[in-house]
Amino acid sequence: MSAYAIETDGLTKVFRTRFSGRELRAVDNISLRVPVGSTYGLLGPNGAGKTTFVKMLLSCTHPTAGRAMVFGHDTRGAEARRPIGYLPENHRFPTYMTGWDMLDFYGALSGMDTAVRRKRIPELLNLVGLDERAHNLRLGKYSKGMLQRVGLAQALIHSPKLLVLDEPSDGVDPVGRKHIRDVLHSLEQQGVTIFLNSHLLAEVELFCREVAIIQKGKLALSGSVEDLTQGSGYRVEGLHVPEKIETELRARARSFAANNGSLQLLYGTREEANQAVDLLRAAGCEIESLGRSRSTLEEVFMKTVEGEPQAQGAKA
Amino acid sequence: MKTTFAIIVDTFREAFARRIFWGFFACCTLLMLFLMFIMRVDVVQGAIATVTIFGRNAPSTDVQRLVHQAQGVIAMIMYFAGMALSCFASAGLVSAVFEQGRVELLLSKPVSRTHLLLGRYAGNVLVVATNIVYLVFGSWIIFGLKTGVWGAGFPLSSLCTIFIFGVLLALIVLIGVLWDSAAIAIMASFAIMIVTPILAQKSTLERLLSSEWSRDVVRVLYYALPKTSDVSIIIWNLILHQPVASWMPVWSTAIFGAVVLALGLWRFERRSF
Repeated sequence: MSAYAIETDGLTKVFRTRFSGRELRAVDNISLRVPVGSTYGLLGPNGAGKTTFVKMLLSCTHPTAGRAMVFGHDTRGAEARRPIGYLPENHRFPTYMTGWDMLDFYGALSGMDTAVRRKRIPELLNLVGLDERAHNLRLGKYSKGMLQRVGLAQALIHSPKLLVLDEPSDGVDPVGRKHIRDVLHSLEQQGVTIFLNSHLLAEVELFCREVAIIQKGKLALSGSVEDLTQGSGYRVEGLHVPEKIETELRARARSFAANNGSLQLLYGTREEANQAVDLLRAAGCEIESLGRSRSTLEEVFMKTVEGEPQAQGAKA
Repeated sequence: MKTTFAIIVDTFREAFARRIFWGFFACCTLLMLFLMFIMRVDVVQGAIATVTIFGRNAPSTDVQRLVHQAQGVIAMIMYFAGMALSCFASAGLVSAVFEQGRVELLLSKPVSRTHLLLGRYAGNVLVVATNIVYLVFGSWIIFGLKTGVWGAGFPLSSLCTIFIFGVLLALIVLIGVLWDSAAIAIMASFAIMIVTPILAQKSTLERLLSSEWSRDVVRVLYYALPKTSDVSIIIWNLILHQPVASWMPVWSTAIFGAVVLALGLWRFERRSF
């Protein structure tokens, strides 16, 4: 068995307009490895090619070049898609079905027996937080949040080993998001690989261990969230800093922020940070915190997408 | 097998939800009630000998002919009007599968595209076939019970009607796969129903046309396209227990249906969603 849940090799999709024949490279030569059991986030601005990439993984869209493998099998084969659970973005679930009917239908398409489906459906509907009234309610009457929940249940119906989720918490309230995140965490602990495509960077940062950023169809950045958000500087925070010392500290800092008697300073080197600590201690100031600076995933994302560093704080 | 069954059940469920099935069912039931009413009037106004004959359970030749003609009329109504309604209703049922957000989910399942589309096609044929069989067999039983005239021609005619619907549905599927358009699919199936009776007058057209190439066009179109008009004559002959001159219209129409369905499946396999 492959060590990778998802493996793409030079995956490319070129769309051609029907009449002019103009080419659009939606996905350009992306090679990506998603280890089994990982939680992986796919990020990128609108139109970057994320959804096309996901659709090629599922063989909904045929690649112009390259190939996509799931657990070592080419996804063009129907059987290769058996271990995948998928929740699409902008889904249109059949509104004539009830929540139960929908899970029953997609369970049958996944090759599950009737008896197994009957046992699994109520468990899943309860797991995603849909009460018994919702079981027999037509999907046309569901709210957006309920549809996301039943969509997640649909993706889980056949106990997949790989979960591909496209904007799973879209339209879900904060409590619902937390609930979905808890469900996903429990699946992660069971060894399910989770591949998340989301615009909500904070959500990805909270949940995913690894991320890839796609920009204009190309893989711009990939790595662990821990490594990517590791900042390059040192943060020093002191309390009640006298004005005379503050001026000196600010002059050497890369950036600073003052708030309610607290002064936060960011230095580029360890030596500069140590000198700042010495100055603060000599003046009898208290050190509130000290450590390596960290970037948020949003900052990493913006740097990658816009190609320019984001200021931590305004320097006077 | 359970996958195919699930797709067929889903098609029925959607047909129920869109009121397509129940619409047909209501039309068929009304037609049968109308038939019962007409027959009662016939009995009241008809010759006493007819009733007497019913009592003896030995239908006369005249009654038999009358019944067969009435069955022929019902079969023709079902064939032309029912077919047009069926195509109209089915176009939406086919194109619904290709809706964005729905097709991706279907394609992500471990089912081949051919299997998915054929399952939907079979489900759609069965939705219409159920109503055709309901109307034809219902009418056949009413005729049989009232007149004692039982013949295999009328029930057999339903197979021809279902067959032609299957061919037109193949065209609807192909157009659905190509353009996602229920409207174009309806127009194409209606065009076939309008053009092919004209082409059925091949000999007359050949006499009227002056150039050889235009005659060739008529011949090619006649043999290539489904022969809805010729098949209706076969149905009529079957019901009236008259010999069928040629089965060519049936098998050539079957070839058209098979080719068009194969093209639809091929395109669906290759298409990116």
